[in-house]
Amino acid sequence: MSETVIEFKAVDKWFGKLHVLRAVDLAVSVGEVVVVCGPSGSGKSTLIRCVNGLEAIQGGELVVLGESITRPGVRMPALRTRVGMVFQSFNLFPHMTVLQNITLAPVRVKGLSAAEAEKTARALLERVRIPDKAAAYPANLSGGQQQRVAIARALAMQPRIMLFDEPTSALDPEMINEVLDVMTDLAKDGMTMMVVTHEMGFARRVAHRVVFMDGGSIVEEAAPEAFFAAAQSDRAREFLSKILTH
Amino acid sequence: MKRLLSMLVAVALLAAAVPVFAETTLEKIARTGTLTIGTRRGSPPFGFVNKSNEWVGFSIDLVEQAIKPVIEKKLGKPIRVEKKESTPATRIPLLTSNAVDLVAETTTDTRPRRESVDFSLTFFVTGAQFLVKKGSPIHGIQNIAGKRIATQQGSTNARILRERVPGAQLREFPDQPAAFQALAQGQVDAYTNDGIQLAGLKAKAPNPADWEIVGDFYSYEPYGMAMRKNDSDFRQVVNVGLMEAIESGKYAELYEKWFGAKGEVPYPLTPENKRFLQMQVVPK
Amino acid sequence: MNYQFQWGVLWSGQSGSWLLQGVLTTLGISALAWILAAALGILSGALRTVPWRPLRAAAVFYVEFFRNVPLLVWMFFWYFGVPPLLPRPVQDWLFNHGAEFWAGMFALGVYHGARMSEVIRSGIQSIPRTQFEASMAMGLTTFQAYRLVIVPIALRLIVPPATNESLNLLKNSSVALTISVAELTFQTRQIETYTAKAIEALTAGTLIYLVLCVSIAAVMAWVERRFRIPGLIARGG
Repeated sequence: MSETVIEFKAVDKWFGKLHVLRAVDLAVSVGEVVVVCGPSGSGKSTLIRCVNGLEAIQGGELVVLGESITRPGVRMPALRTRVGMVFQSFNLFPHMTVLQNITLAPVRVKGLSAAEAEKTARALLERVRIPDKAAAYPANLSGGQQQRVAIARALAMQPRIMLFDEPTSALDPEMINEVLDVMTDLAKDGMTMMVVTHEMGFARRVAHRVVFMDGGSIVEEAAPEAFFAAAQSDRAREFLSKILTH
Repeated sequence: MKRLLSMLVAVALLAAAVPVFAETTLEKIARTGTLTIGTRRGSPPFGFVNKSNEWVGFSIDLVEQAIKPVIEKKLGKPIRVEKKESTPATRIPLLTSNAVDLVAETTTDTRPRRESVDFSLTFFVTGAQFLVKKGSPIHGIQNIAGKRIATQQGSTNARILRERVPGAQLREFPDQPAAFQALAQGQVDAYTNDGIQLAGLKAKAPNPADWEIVGDFYSYEPYGMAMRKNDSDFRQVVNVGLMEAIESGKYAELYEKWFGAKGEVPYPLTPENKRFLQMQVVPK
Repeated sequence: MNYQFQWGVLWSGQSGSWLLQGVLTTLGISALAWILAAALGILSGALRTVPWRPLRAAAVFYVEFFRNVPLLVWMFFWYFGVPPLLPRPVQDWLFNHGAEFWAGMFALGVYHGARMSEVIRSGIQSIPRTQFEASMAMGLTTFQAYRLVIVPIALRLIVPPATNESLNLLKNSSVALTISVAELTFQTRQIETYTAKAIEALTAGTLIYLVLCVSIAAVMAWVERRFRIPGLIARGG
């Protein structure tokens, strides 16, 4: 059995009185691509935001890369250098060029020299297929280009896990594929990925496993072929019928 | 930028044109029934707020008891005296802007000032000295070099010290209370002002015995009342009021009230000052 | 009772050198106070947005305490209130070495720092929270996130209101004349004392303040263009 890199053990999470994660158990192995889906408000974004500590949990235990992040005194910044994250709204820093966005953390957190960081950054831009945009500012890029820079920025820290929080939801349809293609490449290279998305085509082609959430609980998890062919729960079937026919 | 410039020029021209509305001070008093004076709230005993919260003083009494009756006689009707606060920095603008008609406080008559305003007869004579803590090494202008000396902004003393003792470190405060505070706390080593002002300050201090007024007069400070320039009819009634008071003994009575042994600030009238005042009174 | 204008008083005698000294003092005290205000404003403005309550409370206290008391009172506080807390020889040394200037500078800087803080806080709060999350997600510490991302963006957003505050600071430096700082307004009054020409002296002072303010506004407009965030619409241009 391969190494487990993310493990939720009966994790509970509240926003005030709202119980958003209810005793969630989930394990992700190294190299695995897990797509998390579910209706809005189901807790799927919260789930992956817990992995790098953007959300604190109130019950249970969460182990990431062998470290229990609920343990007091754990150094979150150090953990976060090994867990990359891509947001729905790109979140590039508007006052920096593409290159500066990508080299910021390697230089400031990892202590790389500017030259080394730049070399890596240019290689990553090559990999996300926009090598000519290094000097551009985020505002001068299309949404798809911005999201690919965001992926390059996350990869610059050489993370062992990548989290994607609805990476294509803010994109115009014609740009969705350029981002999904980059993500597919990444999956092929063996990156461990948790992806919150409604792109069921991507899930079908790339994911090793689909996790369906509703009301703060994991309702169903299965290999994509099984999930899309014959979801076990009514809620999953209802969700799929809505999302696939719209 | 060009528009800004032309706007400024327009404002300057307007400012220059304002005095076209020519009404003499006596006409203004007749029309409004009010003589507005600028005086002090914190310069005992010339103008100050006393313990029962009344705004009183020697300069104010001179206006109300010596000058007001003469104006009333001249205009043939009763008038009121209204008081406004003036300070060394504001008294001349207050006059030129018509906000007050007469500045009756502690203004020293000087030649440059006479280019902007007119002065009445001299109604009080004093000179600059120093207020120090008892036992201070400062005994007069001869040993203030290198010392920190508080003066009042807009007074003539700073100017004289700057010329005569360039080594003194002057600290200029807008009013007496701030200057006295600085002296009490040691920000400065001495506070210089007209001797009579220092006497007033000392008399009102919590412990008058802690303070000493030292040094010979290093300046001559004849106090006059200031008026707008070139209004000789008004100046005439002000001067007549003062002369009649000196002649009749009213002045002496008021002097005794404020500067006598039981007055607010004991400061006996020297024979030569008394003679000087009398010499200013021209024949009827 | 016509007022006789004599503009010559402004360049006869020592008036010219007094005005120059006044301008230099005004610029000196304002520049130092501005640096202090900017530092305090950025620090407390940032602290008001951090996810830790005691720091936020401390910053709120600073802002409300200092901006709600008149500047004049702060001038007296720093000049009359603070020195007695020091040993007597230190006091004497200070009083011999421009205590007035430094007290005035602190009063001005700390007071305007509290006002600057509000400007910076509003700038920070106008940045989407996800920018902060993105910084954290790449491994920056909270301090680094503020220093490298949040504050630099906020500073670019707040140039117009910060210009306004800077001009207020410059003009408020005249309050320092109450504690014997010989700045521009003090010197115009001095000219008035010597020459009894109030309107000329005031006009000179007013024009100099106007020139200083217009120059500062021009510099700030340049800063705004130079550091504007690409894609945001630049004002003025």
